[in-house]
Amino acid sequence: MERRKLVSAALVLTLLGALLFMPPLASVFQIHRLVLGVPAEVIYLFTVWVLLIVGAWWLGSRLPRESEDEG
Amino acid sequence: MLSADLVTATGIAYVGLLFLIAYVSDRQARKSKSSFLRSPFVYTLAISVYCTSWTFYGAVGSAARNGLEYLAIYLGPTLVFIGWWFVLRRLVRISHNQRITSIADLLSSRFGKSSRLAVLVTVIAVIGIAPYIALQLKAVTSSIQAISGASAAQGTLRGVDDVGLAFGVAAGMALFTVLFGTRNVDAKEQHHGVVAAIAFEAVVKLAALIAVGLFVVFAGGGLEAIFSRAEAAGVDIYSTGTFDDRWIAMNVLSIAAIICLPRQFQITVVENSDENHLRTAAWAFPGYLLLMSLFTLPIALYGLTSMPAGANPDMFVLTLPLAAGQEGLALFAFIGGFSSATSMIIVESIALSIMVSNHIVMPLVLRFTQGQGVGDGRGVSQLLLASRRFSIALILSLGFGYFYLTRDSNALAPIGLISFCGVAQFLPAIIAALFWKDASLKAATAAVAVGFVVWAWSSFMPSFESASPLVAQLMAEGPWGITWLRPEALFGVADIDPLANAVFWSLFLNTATLVVVSLFTSQSALERVQATLFVDLFRRQGPVGTLMRGSAATGDLQFVAQRVLGIEKATALFAGAGAAAGTPQFIDRLERELAGSIGAASAHVMMSKVVAGSAVSLEEVLQMADETQQAIEYSQQLERTSSELRDTARKLEEANRQLRELDSQKDEFLSQVSHEVRTPMTSIRSFSEILLGEQHLEEAERQKFVATIHKESLRLTKLLDQILDLNALERGKAAWRNVPTDAEAVLDQAVEVCSALARQRQMRLVVDKQGEGASIDADADRLSQVLINLISNAIKYNDAPEPLVEVRSRRSRRHYIVEVADNGPGIARDERTLVFEKFSRGATGTTAAPGAGLGLAISRQIITHMNGRLELVPARGRGACFRITLPLSGAAALAE
Repeated sequence: MERRKLVSAALVLTLLGALLFMPPLASVFQIHRLVLGVPAEVIYLFTVWVLLIVGAWWLGSRLPRESEDEG
Repeated sequence: MLSADLVTATGIAYVGLLFLIAYVSDRQARKSKSSFLRSPFVYTLAISVYCTSWTFYGAVGSAARNGLEYLAIYLGPTLVFIGWWFVLRRLVRISHNQRITSIADLLSSRFGKSSRLAVLVTVIAVIGIAPYIALQLKAVTSSIQAISGASAAQGTLRGVDDVGLAFGVAAGMALFTVLFGTRNVDAKEQHHGVVAAIAFEAVVKLAALIAVGLFVVFAGGGLEAIFSRAEAAGVDIYSTGTFDDRWIAMNVLSIAAIICLPRQFQITVVENSDENHLRTAAWAFPGYLLLMSLFTLPIALYGLTSMPAGANPDMFVLTLPLAAGQEGLALFAFIGGFSSATSMIIVESIALSIMVSNHIVMPLVLRFTQGQGVGDGRGVSQLLLASRRFSIALILSLGFGYFYLTRDSNALAPIGLISFCGVAQFLPAIIAALFWKDASLKAATAAVAVGFVVWAWSSFMPSFESASPLVAQLMAEGPWGITWLRPEALFGVADIDPLANAVFWSLFLNTATLVVVSLFTSQSALERVQATLFVDLFRRQGPVGTLMRGSAATGDLQFVAQRVLGIEKATALFAGAGAAAGTPQFIDRLERELAGSIGAASAHVMMSKVVAGSAVSLEEVLQMADETQQAIEYSQQLERTSSELRDTARKLEEANRQLRELDSQKDEFLSQVSHEVRTPMTSIRSFSEILLGEQHLEEAERQKFVATIHKESLRLTKLLDQILDLNALERGKAAWRNVPTDAEAVLDQAVEVCSALARQRQMRLVVDKQGEGASIDADADRLSQVLINLISNAIKYNDAPEPLVEVRSRRSRRHYIVEVADNGPGIARDERTLVFEKFSRGATGTTAAPGAGLGLAISRQIITHMNGRLELVPARGRGACFRITLPLSGAAALAE
């Protein structure tokens, strides 16, 4: 991906994470049921969290380096 | 239960170990530049100072009371680090460029190196953090009591109540931090040793918490068993209603906290040695937070179901292993909790002490001395160290004071949230500092002050409710009975969570003040410069423009540098600069070096004092910049004008070229005309000379000569008439009037005129009229002139043995067409385009041809004026064929 798209992807990842952690999206998984022995909303929050970490790991090494600053 | 003496001894031994680690790492860091200590993982672990005993003990308590809510404290920082590219990277870059030493320094530097703002931010930070320090003291005190339980009544801690214990802990921490953090004044305020110790503590606390977590899952028979048993015991394991206003408020607070907490700023920004470390921290720190909170819920639920009612859930991490007889694990957990508390206290008090000494003590010293530091030798360095040590003691005593006043409230987490809300008041100013150039000093100061007041009223003060009847009364009734000012129901909004209430109103009024005041105030020159440096961070290349000009004596500069940086460092700096010492660039660099030790505002004041006299005022610099800008605009204007001029010149040149062409055409025309006129004139002249000279001429001869003169003058007149005619036609349509005309009638008339000529030449004139009733817009006389010209030409130049001229007319849908054809010599192919030019005559029979060669040119002009075409079309067989195509009148054409 070209650098501008990578920066956009980083922004989208951040904003998406914020949306997923907030109501109403977070409330979608308040279904009062155990999934794998754990409440569904707990599974949901930790899954989003892990995906964000993976996304940040993927982007971390690809976002442009210091020498090529934005114009 | 473990003996209190053992616990105390373990704590002290652990602190000793930390000190050793710090000492060794400091030496290591000094020796090699690329040691393990500067790796991104150590950096990330150090950032984990975010996880204090609030996380270690308090999160479990929070989970036991409010379910999933504790997670909000970790999700906010996760988001900030996932989005490191947008805020943290800017903060780190700016702080490296500007040698920022603290969050107060950052705001002060951005808003015109203002000392007043720095003082305000420092004071708020110190007050805001006091509850947080108290939280750590409380956690350590409770943990010592919890782990030693009944045995606290024996041994060294006999007879010591929790206040005494907390005081002991605070004093110990103060001593430890002073020894730890203020051994020297580092120019860049980086403490490699401290960072290494904090990273070590991060590993210890994570390991301890995971160990306890695994133990609980094992003891509880797996996650599912723990959750099911909790549900059976009536615990709301689904955290019903978690995602509400309080959840959002806590997320906002934790986002603000990870940026604004002085210790986070210290570790993330100031201690950062390489911007690229953020790339690793971006995922590694959220990962650390995730691991830290993984077992929180199981521990809390297991504690709720297995511990006796009334057990303090904040201490489950310790009491659960103890209850199971796992004393070793309990001691490990205690050390983990102790790590969380010590790391927080160490970094926080170092960060705050830097702020206090740089922004409160230094400016006072500068004000009350004559400018170039205090006393002799290493005056400033000594003073800085002393003021930092004093600040650490002050900060811990404030924390202890808060602990003492609020010792009756139980939970840990709410205390931490009060601090978070306090420091969150810096967030609007920081964001504006990074992204909004027009944010002004006055606005930032007012905004932070407003936010602070609202926070103090709605969040800080209510925490004293249990300690002070006055506060309790204020909270119940509002000041002077004004109910809409009740701290936890501001503006009468009562059905809102108290935390959400405080967060919303403080940040809302804070931001509103920032925006509105910025719009209505103007910035000073220095503010504008700094604003550009901060906001256009990545747009600017090369070094920052220097603000001070002049020739400060190198001696003076060196004196100041030695005062602040120490002799060794100053000498190295000046030796490195060599002859450049004293130049504006060097002065600028020196100011930034000084700022790295004493803050931007103080460094600026100090340097202005030294360079005073020769300093160019900033206003002057900006005016120069403005003038340059104007000059640039003027030159751009000139360029525009000159390009317009070039354009005009090109057009003129083009017009001139056309004129010259026309002129040469005119010359050609004139020479042709003269030539045409010359021939008849010559014969007229010679015949009249003969008539004048020869008196005895035969009458008959005389008659013949006169007739010739007459004939030639007729020809001349005709030529001139034609030239005039053509000229008039070429001049335009002004006098031209087309009227509906019966085309066939005109053709009849023309044929009649020509039939006499045809008869005279014994020539057959065939007329084939098919265009009955065609009405065209034309000038009848002119059309007749054209037809006569064409027909008579066809007759005149026809030298065929059986000469024949055909005139054919017909109509098409929209046109009336007349063709005049002959079986004469025809027109050579290469002359076909030329016949309509002026003075052109067919090469064939040039000599025999009378007329000036203007006839066809005139005819074509006339037909053009009637919107028609006159053209030469290929003839059937020998000869030439001219065709006139004229549009039918509008009405006739439509009727078709």
